[in-house]
Amino acid sequence: MSILWQEAMLEAFRETTLRIAHLLPKLLALLTFLALGLAAGWLVKTLLLRLLRAFRFDALCERFGLGSSLAKAGTKQSISDLVGRLSFWLVFLLFGFMGIDALDLTATTNMMRVIIGFLPHTLAALLLLLFGVILANFIGEAALIATVNAQIQEARIIASFIRWGVLVFTAAMVLTQLGIAKEIIVAAFSIMFGGIMLALAIAVGLGGQSIAKDVLEHRLRRGKAEQDDMSHI
Amino acid sequence: MANTVWREVREQVRDIQKIEVVVGIPTFNNAETVQTVVKAVQAGLSKVCPYASVLMMNADAGSQDGSAEAIKQALRPETPTVYVHHLEGGLLTGPISLQTLSESGVPGREHAFRAFFTVAEELQAKACVVVDANLRTLTPDWMDVLLRPVIEKGMDYVAPLFRRARYEGSLTNCIIYPLSRALYGKQMRYHTTGGYGFSGKLASLYLTKNFWEGEGTSYGIDSWLTTVAVAEGCEVSQGFLGTRIQDVKLTGIELSVVLAQAVGALFHLMETYQNVWEGTGGSSPVPQFGAPYEPGPAGGAVNVERMVSGFQQGLRDLLPIWEIILAPETLAGILALGLLEAEEFRFPETLWVQTIYDFALAYHEKALHREHLLKSLTPLYLGQTASLVLETREGSPEDVERAIERLCNTFESMKPYLTQRWRFP
Repeated sequence: MSILWQEAMLEAFRETTLRIAHLLPKLLALLTFLALGLAAGWLVKTLLLRLLRAFRFDALCERFGLGSSLAKAGTKQSISDLVGRLSFWLVFLLFGFMGIDALDLTATTNMMRVIIGFLPHTLAALLLLLFGVILANFIGEAALIATVNAQIQEARIIASFIRWGVLVFTAAMVLTQLGIAKEIIVAAFSIMFGGIMLALAIAVGLGGQSIAKDVLEHRLRRGKAEQDDMSHI
Repeated sequence: MANTVWREVREQVRDIQKIEVVVGIPTFNNAETVQTVVKAVQAGLSKVCPYASVLMMNADAGSQDGSAEAIKQALRPETPTVYVHHLEGGLLTGPISLQTLSESGVPGREHAFRAFFTVAEELQAKACVVVDANLRTLTPDWMDVLLRPVIEKGMDYVAPLFRRARYEGSLTNCIIYPLSRALYGKQMRYHTTGGYGFSGKLASLYLTKNFWEGEGTSYGIDSWLTTVAVAEGCEVSQGFLGTRIQDVKLTGIELSVVLAQAVGALFHLMETYQNVWEGTGGSSPVPQFGAPYEPGPAGGAVNVERMVSGFQQGLRDLLPIWEIILAPETLAGILALGLLEAEEFRFPETLWVQTIYDFALAYHEKALHREHLLKSLTPLYLGQTASLVLETREGSPEDVERAIERLCNTFESMKPYLTQRWRFP
């Protein structure tokens, strides 16, 4: 009895020690990857920040209204700071995934495959988002200036409508790219867009018929009566 | 493109190797007026230089009304004449951009000028005169004013100067003239279109400039001609041509587009000629030919209330954009103007000058997309014009001239504001 107990104890001890001996290098590899990730992330962030500042990236983003959009959203950091921070976390996560992979666990191997497979979609979605926001700001600004110069009193509403239209369209494209509820997004977008157009048509055609008539009459008459009879150049 | 033009011209006049005067006439559906213009030009040439060899040149932007035929009918048969076509003969390969439509009503006007300068250079012309085909007031005396200073007085450039109705050309008077005078130190009034006189040397110089392709072309050529001549230190002058009446068929060009073209041309060249204008102080008059310049009588109706309301709407809606462009103290001054009633509205001169200098600096620093930046100046310009009208409408035409002169002096005295910030923003 005592021999059996002794053997069982020794066997359990030996197996546990063996497992720990197998796991320890993997844990060490994980820790090393994490430490390397911190260092590489910091390095990439620093280099990228210097590069972006050298190319006056913040000023460029300001030109396209990206800085003011972020400020409106409550972000106090500059775009280059945000890009730097994002790059740090991307590099750190990449090293983190390598560390997890080094643990050689079945569950994490599947997780890694899924994450790496999804990465191109995420990057494409991020680029789409960036392009969409820049385009929305640019077109919104152009519309605002044009309508103000045409002395249309509803200039801000028109410009906001155009800007948000592009943003909604971008959001739909980003979600489709990410594969999140693809069919629902396409259907929701079509319904929303069609709905807005129908609402506008009904509002102008029925509800606002007389207002639309007054506005058009006022604008056309003003075009003739209030126009300056002078050449500016 | 220059080679294509020259080949096209060479085929038409094979026996001419050298010419003294090139007369360029850009056309675009001007059959109605071009004959009168051609006859007046010929009469003028026979008075000014009866024995000089002259080449008449028509650059057409794709007329559908037989403008070129009308020229042929009006010309004396012995006059050497060449015709080039913007849209059919390959002067332009691509579609004409809307940006290149100018108030002159001739699309792709810069291509016509380039063709004239190319031919003047190839034929070693002493002088080149360009007159618009849509003029109704061109007389033979114009040749005397535009050509004689080049041939006899050694001038490189004769810019037109017109008698204009009060407040006509207020964009020129409130921005272009004062700013360019402060920058380059020459009192050129920047009246544009109608007619110009160039020396052969200046025509060749224009061809070497980086204007014909790239960003510069979107700003139109008329003010570019004057700025380059002044900044390059050429012998510049002005010729008083009396009243100008033109058939401008192209109507409906927005004020903001005209403003962006004219002001953009000046801002664009500030980059090129930074070393010239930074070291220039004060200003001096330029030689003037023809009758003495005189301000014009009262003109058509000016709707001041609409201008003030345009300014106020800009203040309400474009404030976030102006915040990027203007210095905080300039913006504070402009915000205070929003409280004034239409009749009391006055745009202080120093504030206006500071505003224009801030816009030039923002353009230089690329603080905003450049077209947006230039177009967002429109409400402020309306405010300044309204202020000028309200200040001088009860006075004489000379009062308007005095107000413009005062503005020019303010631009000159405040120039350090611009130069200090230009290099070290």
